[in-house]
Amino acid sequence: MEPLPLSGVRVADFTWVGAGSYTTKMLADHGADVIKIESRAKVDGIRLSAPFKDGIKGVNRSGYFADRNTSKRSITINMKTAEGQALARRIVAASDVVANNFTPGTMAGFGLSYEQVREINSTAVYLAMSMSGDSGPERDFLGYGLTIGALVGIHHLSGLPGQEPAGTGTNYPDHIPNPCHAAFAVLAALRHARRTGRGQYLDVAQTEPTIAVLGAAFLDATVNGRDPQPLGNQHLRHAPHGVYPCAGDDRWIAISVTDDAQWAAARQVLGIADEDCVRDWTGEAARHRDRDALDALLVAATADRIAEELFHRLQAAGVPAGVVQNAADVVSGDPHLQARGHWLRLEHPEMGETLYNAPPFVLTGTPATLTRPAPLLGQHTHEICREVLDLDDAEIARLEAEGVLT
Amino acid sequence: VTADAAEGALTGLRVLDLSGPLGNYCGKLFAELGADVVLVEPPGGSALRHEPPFVADEPGIERSLGFAYNNTSKRSLRLDLGHPEGQQVLRDLAAGAALVIETDSPGRMAARGLGHEELSRDNPGLVTTSITPFGQTGPYAQYEASDLVCLAMGGLLYLGGYADGPPVQAGQQQAYVAGNLFGAVASLLAVTAAETTGRGQHVDVSVQESVVMGLENAAQFQDLEGRIRRRTGGQQWRAGAGVYPCTDGYVYMLAGGIGGNRFWPNLVAWLAEEGVDRVDELRGEEWGERDFVEAEETKAMFAEIFLPFVRSRTKVGLYRDAQKWRVPLCPVNSPTDILGSAQLRHRNYFVQVPGLGPEAIMPGAPYVLSETPWSLKSRAPHLGEHTEEVLAEVGYTADRVARLREAGVV
Repeated sequence: MEPLPLSGVRVADFTWVGAGSYTTKMLADHGADVIKIESRAKVDGIRLSAPFKDGIKGVNRSGYFADRNTSKRSITINMKTAEGQALARRIVAASDVVANNFTPGTMAGFGLSYEQVREINSTAVYLAMSMSGDSGPERDFLGYGLTIGALVGIHHLSGLPGQEPAGTGTNYPDHIPNPCHAAFAVLAALRHARRTGRGQYLDVAQTEPTIAVLGAAFLDATVNGRDPQPLGNQHLRHAPHGVYPCAGDDRWIAISVTDDAQWAAARQVLGIADEDCVRDWTGEAARHRDRDALDALLVAATADRIAEELFHRLQAAGVPAGVVQNAADVVSGDPHLQARGHWLRLEHPEMGETLYNAPPFVLTGTPATLTRPAPLLGQHTHEICREVLDLDDAEIARLEAEGVLT
Repeated sequence: VTADAAEGALTGLRVLDLSGPLGNYCGKLFAELGADVVLVEPPGGSALRHEPPFVADEPGIERSLGFAYNNTSKRSLRLDLGHPEGQQVLRDLAAGAALVIETDSPGRMAARGLGHEELSRDNPGLVTTSITPFGQTGPYAQYEASDLVCLAMGGLLYLGGYADGPPVQAGQQQAYVAGNLFGAVASLLAVTAAETTGRGQHVDVSVQESVVMGLENAAQFQDLEGRIRRRTGGQQWRAGAGVYPCTDGYVYMLAGGIGGNRFWPNLVAWLAEEGVDRVDELRGEEWGERDFVEAEETKAMFAEIFLPFVRSRTKVGLYRDAQKWRVPLCPVNSPTDILGSAQLRHRNYFVQVPGLGPEAIMPGAPYVLSETPWSLKSRAPHLGEHTEEVLAEVGYTADRVARLREAGVV
């Protein structure tokens, strides 16, 4: 069997909460040995975040934590002790990547600033993911999840024009822009390290990647001199384009018509008669001009239809359409995601068999399997002490007795 | 720019970007860390060239701002892949490439003799990344989709919008963003493997699944607690968490938030210092209980106490004071607010881009790499701007290029 792309790569992982943990998960799922260095005194906040198995709170019961920490190992070290810091330094010395998402200065407090790490490991790729980056007047500012989404513009740009912004309903930067940019930068820096033997320092602010995926809005602001506003469900070019009600409670269908043939097909499936088309809606410009009228026609035409049925009928006619799926639809109602094996059920020592996302892509030559569920807090402390730190059982027992290993 | 700085982390990789909205940002990420990215465009130009917004709102293949942003630092080759000779040109280019990014409907490339197997015949280390709405396999693989449809099918659309209204899309085409970003990670993982083993592969990226990765904990809520998360816009989603109006816009606060609730005492201390009425009602263990902070009465009580205070302040002032008290609160910024950020100015984040007028400013480095810095090499190319140059590099003579041009292939 082909080795996974990152087999042989070790990550000393000090990340916690959202974006950092998701970044190192991607590395772990593709073969890296990710050692999550945790504190029992100051537990990763996501371990204490809902949902919990059977609704019962516990550091090993959060589904939010579990899905973001697959394929990793966990060691619990008391980083307030000199010996604990020395153990962490030895893990760092044996690693290819050192990752954290603390506010700037925290790692230096452990004796693990980039300068200090470089002295013991000059090939290490050092990933720092603070909120605003490690320089500038806001370098010490605090933020996470949606406060960052607000700061960087995605919240403002999502919602109905003229109303309070609605955002994505999630801590969006944590899940997609930040972890993907960070993982990409780490992979690129690992390539450089393989080729030159030189490590480097990566400063990935948790603001800058999300702003980078809104690039056209900034050109629109500066070139055209306007402040971009949310569009609701409209599109700048095409209509009809929106979300339309279907039969049942909170059921909706998304439809995007992009050309004349699709419009003709959509009208046929939806039963929109010629006499309802009060103007000539040939051509995208005419449809876009009259988009509000088209939306009203579609709302009336979809309201009594079953979303799933209408979705397949529109698709069969070549019209881009999709059910606005809720989590239950996505997890258990979508035959396509099932066929692609998107959902995995892994056996976790405390949670039992629970749900995990597979990667959203298939590397056909080196297919990833999540190698293990999320670790229990400190689950691999002994194993890592023996394998990575070369400690014997007596020494491990002493360190535990003295509160260095917790 | 020193010679050293020009050496990027991805120097030496040739990337062929055949994509449009689903892959152009992926190609840009490669280009600006040092890869040589050639945008292979159909005769009418790449799909993003036709998408608004345009300079001065006038359509034109050199006027799309989305194209201009997502294709910087690339070169353009105009090539008719419907023509057998155009197909041969692409195979010749692929022989020297590390990565091909394509976003055609599944099977279309193979039908033209341009599938991964054909492209990698003389180049076993080649990675071909296909980014498509539903991926290469499965019952919906051939279904048509837009960004909105991918958001809908991936479950994120359901979570956006207002509690009492229809789902509302995330702004600026975030389904396509997700496909581009996971596509970039997947591509570089595969390139990593190819450089280690000499064996390339076909990478199958699903935009729908990329969106699913952004559902936060909604899938696990369904699995573990049997609860379907719904949209919450327009109201606090917990007491102390949500959008709050101020004098000049809105702020977002996450004090009654996730985790060990460690910011709540900071918020209470701040409000007490400000002399906010009834602040004592915010003290007590119950403010750390999920059922309590999610209850409608609690949210209403918090709003009564907090709104008079927050409504009397500006978003900049609230941001500054909240940070002093270590409360996670940020302004809800528009692009214009962000362009004025002192923090981003200090970090030289925004860059000027030539060719779009003197005012054109866009986001620059999404990350700072100390040894191999991100680098903007050039503005987005004009259609076919580098056709001759690129073909000469793979050994095509001027005569041969002229013949291809006459035949309408390039």
